[in-house]
Amino acid sequence: MSDHLNIARDRELLQGLARNDDKSLEIIYLENFPVILRMVQQNNGSDDDAKDLFQEAMIILYEKVQQGDFDLYSKLKTFLYAVCRRLWLKKLQGNTWIGLSDHIEETLPLEDTMEEHEKRDEQFRIMQKSMGSLGEPCKTLLADYYLHKRSMQDIAEKFGYTNAENAKNQKYKCLMRLKKLFFDQYNDTK
Amino acid sequence: MKDQIQLLQEIESYLEGQLSDAERASFEARRQADPVLNAQVEEQQLFLQTLQQYGRRTELQQQMDRIHEHIATPKPANVVPIRKSTSYPRRRTITNLAAAACIALVTSLSTIAIMQRAAKQKTTAQYEDVRRVLNNIQRSQNALINNMNSTSKKAPANPGTYGGTGFAISTNGYIITNYHVVQGADSLYVQNNKGEAYKATSIFEDISSDLAILKIADSTFKSQPLPYQLKPQPVNLGEEVFTMGYPRDEIVYGKGYISAQTGFNGDTVAYQVSIPVNPGNSGAPLMDSEGNIVGIITGKQTTSDGIAFAVKSAHLKRLLDEMPKEKLPRREWTRKSAHLESMSRIDQIKKLEDFVYMVKVYN
Repeated sequence: MSDHLNIARDRELLQGLARNDDKSLEIIYLENFPVILRMVQQNNGSDDDAKDLFQEAMIILYEKVQQGDFDLYSKLKTFLYAVCRRLWLKKLQGNTWIGLSDHIEETLPLEDTMEEHEKRDEQFRIMQKSMGSLGEPCKTLLADYYLHKRSMQDIAEKFGYTNAENAKNQKYKCLMRLKKLFFDQYNDTK
Repeated sequence: MKDQIQLLQEIESYLEGQLSDAERASFEARRQADPVLNAQVEEQQLFLQTLQQYGRRTELQQQMDRIHEHIATPKPANVVPIRKSTSYPRRRTITNLAAAACIALVTSLSTIAIMQRAAKQKTTAQYEDVRRVLNNIQRSQNALINNMNSTSKKAPANPGTYGGTGFAISTNGYIITNYHVVQGADSLYVQNNKGEAYKATSIFEDISSDLAILKIADSTFKSQPLPYQLKPQPVNLGEEVFTMGYPRDEIVYGKGYISAQTGFNGDTVAYQVSIPVNPGNSGAPLMDSEGNIVGIITGKQTTSDGIAFAVKSAHLKRLLDEMPKEKLPRREWTRKSAHLESMSRIDQIKKLEDFVYMVKVYN
């Protein structure tokens, strides 16, 4: 019975996460991090390893929730633990090519999750690199418009353009440059 | 430039749903008629998605870092080394003791060395690598009739000087075998059970564990996903194992069991296996009943029958880990395509035989 209640609570937290609710994120983070920290420490990892690992798992969770197709069948703790364990094993094995059977039965089927994550991770890195080499004011301008959803009017004022139309033109020029930077690398990796 | 901006603007309004129904319909018709435009729309879609995702992830990361700062990580208090004050023995006593210890050490080490050498001399004759010396009888005849224009991947007419076995460790042409099989090779070929031969080169060798990694020279080579996994854990005494190798020109199956945890002369790198092996079996995979790789056949004892030795799979794993990074293939996550553990032996063999190669060595 208590397990059932827990899942209901976990689902609520996930809905919060999907809404970008800071409080939910904080609760999930604070409740689950210590478990992962212990796991990593027991496997000769450092506190920083644990932080990186856990945050990567949180990103996976967040992106799944955002997509809206995530259905929680197990406790959130179990899911995060399984993802972290998988990521950790992968890190330990480094460059092994034949899958190592680790003899701990996999309770959650994570193959697709991990594969999807790797793909997204790649895209993220390319975008990060492209953004990094874009330079100002393009970077801030694009972030303001596409990420922070500010209006063209605001942006024109902030960057000192005479009107929104000018700002808009500038935005498209920036966008084209970023697209070129992005796709040059993206198509290389394919 | 202007046109491009206009087009981009149009695509964006379309994707954001800002067009009126009529405009939308006309745009969609254009999109259907013009594959270039369609590609551009899809590109923009992918791009915007990635950008959004980038933004969200960056923000999430910052948020998490903020939360993380609040987690009080109690730093371990500086450990002050506590030194016990002891009364030191007199200097002369120490010198005397040290001298005595040195003498004792030298004596025992040299005794061990002498004993080992003696033991080795007695037994080296009993160990034999099981690589095969292939006969050259047909060589000249076949070489003459070999059609030079034939493009099919036939094995070269020369059957090679030595032969061994190897098996695939990745889907893109990496094969593992014994070092003593490829030792001193001028050229190497691997041949599968269908008779297709590929030229290969040895890219990494480890003499101490007697292993070598070969790479098929054909860079476009691609096999089915590997049906087996490497099991680095030690296997228990008495566990049933089987192997497949090329002591003849045809693949041969052999069954046996782990009979000791150490190899020839107590060599901890290997197992002793009670399994029939013959020259040519060198480099053959040793598998447990579930089809996991647990070792690699390397040699046998000449003085008695049915005693073979196999390098433990843990050393194969170590070899893969040690291999220089630039030589590694692009990381491949071979997902197990078949579940060998639940299959009958006959089906297991059918699955496995495609991944076991005959290694031919010319020198």
